[in-house]
Amino acid sequence: MDIIASKLFFTGIDIGSTMSKAAVVDAEGVMLGYVIGPTGAEHRRRANMVMEDVLAKCGVSLDEIAYIISTGYGRVNVPFADKQVTELTCHARGVAALFPDVRTAIDIGGQDAKVLKIKNGKLVDFLTNDKCAAGTGRFLEVAAETLGLELNEMGRISLQSDTPVKINSLCTIFAQQEIIASLSEGKPLPDILAGVYIAIATRVVKLARQLKVEPPVVFTGGVAKNGGMVKAIEAVLGMPVSVPPEPLITGCLGAAILARDEAFKLINRGEYKLQKKQLSEAYIEFTEKTR
Amino acid sequence: MAIATNKGLSLAREIYADRSKRVRELRRDGKKIVGYICLYPPVEIITALGLVPFRIFGDMSEPITAADRVSTTMVCPFVRSILDLGLKGKFDFLDGVVGAHTCDIGAGIILQWRDAIKDAPFTHLLDVPHTDHAPAVDYFEGQINSFKRHIEELAGEKLTDDKLKKACEMHNEQRKLVRQLYDLRKPDPPLLSSAENLEVMVALSSLPVEEGNSLLEDIIQEVTERKVKPSPKKVRLLVWGPVFDNTALYDLIESADAHVVVDDTCVGTRAFWADVKPPYNLHALAQHYLVDIKCPRTYRQAEPFETRRDYDKDLDSRFNYIKKAIVDWGVNGVVLQSVKYCDTHGYEVPNLRHYLDTLGIPSIYIEHDYSERSMAPIKTRVEAFVETLG
Repeated sequence: MDIIASKLFFTGIDIGSTMSKAAVVDAEGVMLGYVIGPTGAEHRRRANMVMEDVLAKCGVSLDEIAYIISTGYGRVNVPFADKQVTELTCHARGVAALFPDVRTAIDIGGQDAKVLKIKNGKLVDFLTNDKCAAGTGRFLEVAAETLGLELNEMGRISLQSDTPVKINSLCTIFAQQEIIASLSEGKPLPDILAGVYIAIATRVVKLARQLKVEPPVVFTGGVAKNGGMVKAIEAVLGMPVSVPPEPLITGCLGAAILARDEAFKLINRGEYKLQKKQLSEAYIEFTEKTR
Repeated sequence: MAIATNKGLSLAREIYADRSKRVRELRRDGKKIVGYICLYPPVEIITALGLVPFRIFGDMSEPITAADRVSTTMVCPFVRSILDLGLKGKFDFLDGVVGAHTCDIGAGIILQWRDAIKDAPFTHLLDVPHTDHAPAVDYFEGQINSFKRHIEELAGEKLTDDKLKKACEMHNEQRKLVRQLYDLRKPDPPLLSSAENLEVMVALSSLPVEEGNSLLEDIIQEVTERKVKPSPKKVRLLVWGPVFDNTALYDLIESADAHVVVDDTCVGTRAFWADVKPPYNLHALAQHYLVDIKCPRTYRQAEPFETRRDYDKDLDSRFNYIKKAIVDWGVNGVVLQSVKYCDTHGYEVPNLRHYLDTLGIPSIYIEHDYSERSMAPIKTRVEAFVETLG
């Protein structure tokens, strides 16, 4: 049994509100590779494409995939997944795989922000922002649009600021009005951008403080790719934060590692073969249907 | 005069889905129906006078479109939903409406009802003090007496000791049966789902007490004997908070790997933990409603007027009944839910969570705006909470 198990691979698929990600790990839990693409409107089609892409990238065939866990906002739309797990549990697992000592993780995605408390690699407590998208990636997108900038140039420009503009409103729409007001007052662009980052950081740090922030802190999610945002979080938090080389994939990596754990549980129960077969049939059937 | 061909749980579900069905029938037969808001108006007096008490809820599936004429969106959405339904004529079967000063917003609605919703010829606001010490109980007894005199006019008869005693006994019987119903969820897995339980509780609040009692007897027998039982799950939860009269939240929680086995909510256990004590007079009613019912709307301290800081003692005196439920029902996590803008419950949340922390019971706080649609974003958080408990 051990010989077979050591040749198996495991996949995690994270269908986020904005981006879809997938990763493959081996029997040791080591990541072979990952893919990232936009989610779009068709979750199910996207789940299939991301699965095919990640298999191709890692040079692994579907038959070698023992178990798949889906996560994220669109986790219900991955028909070939063996199990669904929330993104909170998956992120915690993924962050802990990259930073084994992590105690607090802050994740800012396309439409939500979450704070995770992690102990011994396991999620123990969490908070998420409520229904509204204030203080998330969407907030940044609205600011970029208002200022006529590309998302990826905002961070660099903001780093030139010494005196960030104060943005008091955390509502995305009202903040947009404040940005326009600052523009009309002739405030320099770097200061406005730095102000936007501090507004987002303030909101997420307020969330984090409800759970008591303990170091080391890791910052993930699409928004963590933004250098200005990292600086703002550190300034408001008053402590350094670590950012993984690819902050988008902690969810799918965690899902893949959890898939591995789950599959080994099944192997121990003697249900491993059965799971594998069901998975292949469901996947092929679905792929044919969508083509 | 059978109410329906349905019996037991299916009858409860039918009434849950069409709450006014039975009281409309009773009204056609000459009964007067008295709506009451919140669980503080003493239903014993309403029953004793030959009237039918009907608890007023909002409707989480009905968008609020008319209520903004008489309130603003900063008012709690539960109260706005009630106003909305009232303005849309959905409570036209009520002969009277009794409100209570349980919270400021809850009290305000009765004036709106009198002035904006003209259908109910009888309205009464019961003043309920906000502390539970002896002088407050005496004051509340006086307020219950005023309510009694007022509602005697609607009933066209006088309340006698005998009638009140009989009504108290019937309502105590209902409390006993509800406790038996909740006992059915002590085993693991529970014999009844939380959504089924809520349907029963909502049905009880829509029926005369004697019909509610025989429904409960049928259901307890049915559930004890039925072959199909809920499947085992790894987590047993308690749900806490203000009014929740829709199965949506319970369905959502139970779609994760968890059973809700008990609650501390005002549609669930709150009105049923304790009996009205003999002698069944107005003072006993005041004592029951103000002291024995535990709701954050009543300010409770370990020692009345105590100003020394004894936080732990206060917490224990406020919440030890929840500790008891946690032990008795084998609970391993608590979901605190509240409707947006409910300051009475909002103030209670940090203290209760701290108390639960000291007991080693994990908890999560979720807020909704009293609409079925607002449940969806809560799903991930509840599922993740259940995952942390596994």
